[in-house]
Amino acid sequence: MRNIQKIIKDGARKAVARDDVKYVLGWTPGYGFRVSPFFARTAEDTERLIFSPLCANNLTIYLTLQEKLPLPKAAALDKRKIALFVKGCDSRAVIQLIAERGISRDELVILGVPCGGVIDISKLEAKFPQAIKVEAVEEGEKLSLKVDGKSQEIPKEDILLKKCSLCEYPNPLIYDVLLGEEKQKKTKDYQGISTFEEKSPNEKWTYWGDKFARCIRCYACRNICPLCYCDSCILDKLSPQWIRRSVNLSENTVFQLLRTFHLTGRCIGCGECERACPMGIPVGELNRKLEKDVRELFAYEPGIDIEEKSLLSQFKPEDSEDFIL
Amino acid sequence: MTAFSLPRNEADDFLVALIEKQSLFAPVEKDSIISYQLVANPGDALWNFSNSTVPPKGILFPQTETLFKFTGSEVSGGIELPPQEKETVIFGIRPCDGRAFKIVDHIFGWDYQDPYYLERRARTVLVGLSCYEPASNCFCTSLNGGPSSKEGLDMLLTDLGDRYYLEVLTDKGGKLLNKNRKLFALALDSDTKEKNSLSKKVESKLKRKVMSCDELQKKMGDLKEHKFWEETSLRCLGCGICTYLCPTCHCFDMQDEVTDGKGRRVRMWDSCMFREYTLHASGENPRPTRVERFKNRLYHKYKYYPDSFKITACVGCGRCTRYCPANLDLIDILTEIGKI
Repeated sequence: MRNIQKIIKDGARKAVARDDVKYVLGWTPGYGFRVSPFFARTAEDTERLIFSPLCANNLTIYLTLQEKLPLPKAAALDKRKIALFVKGCDSRAVIQLIAERGISRDELVILGVPCGGVIDISKLEAKFPQAIKVEAVEEGEKLSLKVDGKSQEIPKEDILLKKCSLCEYPNPLIYDVLLGEEKQKKTKDYQGISTFEEKSPNEKWTYWGDKFARCIRCYACRNICPLCYCDSCILDKLSPQWIRRSVNLSENTVFQLLRTFHLTGRCIGCGECERACPMGIPVGELNRKLEKDVRELFAYEPGIDIEEKSLLSQFKPEDSEDFIL
Repeated sequence: MTAFSLPRNEADDFLVALIEKQSLFAPVEKDSIISYQLVANPGDALWNFSNSTVPPKGILFPQTETLFKFTGSEVSGGIELPPQEKETVIFGIRPCDGRAFKIVDHIFGWDYQDPYYLERRARTVLVGLSCYEPASNCFCTSLNGGPSSKEGLDMLLTDLGDRYYLEVLTDKGGKLLNKNRKLFALALDSDTKEKNSLSKKVESKLKRKVMSCDELQKKMGDLKEHKFWEETSLRCLGCGICTYLCPTCHCFDMQDEVTDGKGRRVRMWDSCMFREYTLHASGENPRPTRVERFKNRLYHKYKYYPDSFKITACVGCGRCTRYCPANLDLIDILTEIGKI
């Protein structure tokens, strides 16, 4: 097997050399276990790119995040493409964005990287609180770590992000170039969700009320979500103000549930909302519940096919209606 | 000031006494999130932690607070000040977060004396706890702080193994000590020596550093139009984590919440990282992109604030770096600024 780091850098260098590419979006190592999103504009920049199980960020967000200011007089619009690295789940966000006409396929050069799951960095930081320089290499079911020169091996299962231990799509579903070897799929398992469904409404309310009460409304879950890309978000509206800025259980609950419903049939399960939440609110559980419902009721899965219509814009006579009271 | 000593096995008695006569806020852990909560049992308070997820600033400057109520155009019941309850004690404040209150005092006591904050501040005793295991992104020593920094605190406890070393730093701290005097013995000279050498040891554990506040303030004066800002802020997601978890960020918005003519004026935290923070009624936004917003946040902390108050609005707690989901590593960024 060729070294994945070399494959990544080669792929990025080729992409950045193209006249029709603005920059390559990838990952670069930061301090300790941290990895940063990185905009590589030159061949030299691409030397800084890496791919490892520490590369959690779904870079798709940067396709829609950029504020588009009016162009200065006589300036031409930069129509060059954006090249970006995508893992399996990230690629589904790209597909969903294209399907929703949020972005056009020909604006992109997609560099796919099969992914064996990303690591919950907080677990590693708890084990190695003073780590400065880290290299992480995936070796089958183990993570081989070099922390400040010392080598360690850790079973991946202990430190993977929850969504990764259930990943059905480790391999990108859309790409121009595939970099690296394809990985084994896992079977999706909604066990945790099913157990929760059996609880009484009161128990459910206690569970979520407790979580929502500590939301600080930093909106990191919204801002990091590749599919929360409305130009004008209902949360920011002042007139009329649909959701008050007051931070309390009532407003927090409206915010959280509204976001969940808005992502129904659209969330592709990259789990970035849950990873970003500084208050440890398991936002992803809400999305997984609706993902399960949509799958069971309408046999629909978002982010698989760019030609597929969105869930809410298709009606089939045989659609389930048991839930209509 | 005089120093005292508290045997470890009597530490809980101190908390019991605090709970009995005061409202006690202490660091509490729930679902791996550490925040300062009102505690009723001494066992709920954490003594061993690097730092809290959420700083204690919200106790004196709540995320949401009612300023007054009204019906139509009539203000009812006058301005609502914090209720005259028992004295509040915040226990287990890390020295960086203690310094943060001292920094924030400048803005709330500046051209307008903010009665809400100042009233709470006057009735709150801050009991610090020296750091023992700094977190990987702590850089307080670069901001004139340290693992046993005393600024802003009324008392400071330092863990010496079988006992705590207690320094009384203000009159408020002295009064609190006198109420519980029987729990404490006078510290010995050897205790003081041990505490000082421990502080040095802990300080040496801090690995991350940036240039001095003065250098930073001077350097940033020349960099306003530098292309560095655009490259750096491209990966910013524009969320409010860095501002809301920052112990010195103090910006707020005020809104009226009205139902059927009755309502309240509410003050709530705001974040300069949000688009609507500078949005004018006309639709004009003087900070239209994340580049201007991100740059402004750093300028406010390291340039404008020291220009106005002779103190940098950062204590080096490292929370912004620790919790940023896009890894905008402030320590790296400040280091880069030094290299330009």
